Amino acid sequence: MTAAFFGAACTNTIGAPLAAHRGVNVSRAEDRKKAREGGSDMTKFYLILGVIAVVGIGAVGYSVGSNTFGTAASEPVEVPGLDDQATLVAMAQGVKKGDEDAPFTIIEFGDYQCPGCGEFGLSVEPQIDLLLVQTGRAQFIYYDFPLTQVHPHAFLAARATRCAQDGDKYWEYHTMLFRNQSSWSVQQSAIGAFVGYAEDVGLEGDAFESCLKSDEHADVVSANMRLGYELAVPSTPTIMVQGFGQLRRLRNNSYQGIEEAMAAIEAAAAAGN
Amino acid sequence: MGSAASATPPMNRMVIAALALVGIFVALYLFAHNLGLGGPMVCGVGDCAAVQSSIYAKVGPVPVSAIGLVGYIALLVLSFMGIQPGRRDSRAIGGLLLAGAFGGTVFSAYLTYLEAAVIHAWCQYCVISAILITLIFFAALAEVPRLRGNRS
Repeated sequence: MTAAFFGAACTNTIGAPLAAHRGVNVSRAEDRKKAREGGSDMTKFYLILGVIAVVGIGAVGYSVGSNTFGTAASEPVEVPGLDDQATLVAMAQGVKKGDEDAPFTIIEFGDYQCPGCGEFGLSVEPQIDLLLVQTGRAQFIYYDFPLTQVHPHAFLAARATRCAQDGDKYWEYHTMLFRNQSSWSVQQSAIGAFVGYAEDVGLEGDAFESCLKSDEHADVVSANMRLGYELAVPSTPTIMVQGFGQLRRLRNNSYQGIEEAMAAIEAAAAAGN
Repeated sequence: MGSAASATPPMNRMVIAALALVGIFVALYLFAHNLGLGGPMVCGVGDCAAVQSSIYAKVGPVPVSAIGLVGYIALLVLSFMGIQPGRRDSRAIGGLLLAGAFGGTVFSAYLTYLEAAVIHAWCQYCVISAILITLIFFAALAEVPRLRGNRS
């Protein structure tokens, strides 16, 4: 009993610390195992983050880089020789519609980002088209005059219409820009919208985009601007009516104003002035 | 318990970090376009141009994409800090993650409502972002037991 007691006591007094020691060892081993698992988890985690970072940087970098390197000219460019009147007249090219032999020519100096031009383009221009151009009474010519100081997308918009002209969709695109003026005008970058409109009017998107993201037609638009300055165009839209050797600038940019100017020119011609 | 728990990094914070990193690139892509750096936006589904050109694309002068970018960066930094040894049981980080994820989810829900009911157009990147922040919020819910129970 005593032995048993001592034995038990011995067993208990010696065994308990051993058991406790084994417990500590097990606990430390578990901790080390968890730490190893934790380290393994962290390695996997860093790998996953690395893959996400590489894919993300690649995708965003490609998107931004490919578009940044194809810089779209959105400001007037220096065109040599425009000080010479003959060169200026040769370089500045309005886009025409209607009979070249029509007795009258209606000239617009316009800016695609100007609300007044948008209103003229969507309300008066269809009347000009229907009642004057299609009847052979007048030819209509549009000259770009982007007011780049106040309209940051205007020069690019003018170039965009010229890119559309390359695909024989100038007038469709011209109307499309005016129709959606309130939308693209407020965007930070209008390039995406311009490409979308090109596809909407039936142009091939890639060809249009590559034209837009270049400096193509920047010289023509710049020359048109210079012509406008030479003619002292004060604002946009500026509408002029030419016929019988006379040129009149409209004060009232309405269809009625155009009819009145044409009548005045005819009357002056009849009177021999 | 504390030391045993901190031996392994909290899985939910690792998930939040990974999702936030994806969100950073989505927001960065939109922000680059807002700055005019991205050219035409690739938008396979929906009408990104309509959404991005709407008045709701900005909060005052700040593009929504910039707000998203800052939010995702904050979530990434917090979750990354929260998986480092010594901070794995941090209730402060847990609380901030939960609050940030909740705020982001509410803001994103508002933007989704605007797309559906006001603008009537969808931007796929906004939808992706909404899904990401919702998943982040669910992952952040795992912080609740940590905030409630682990007071040692």
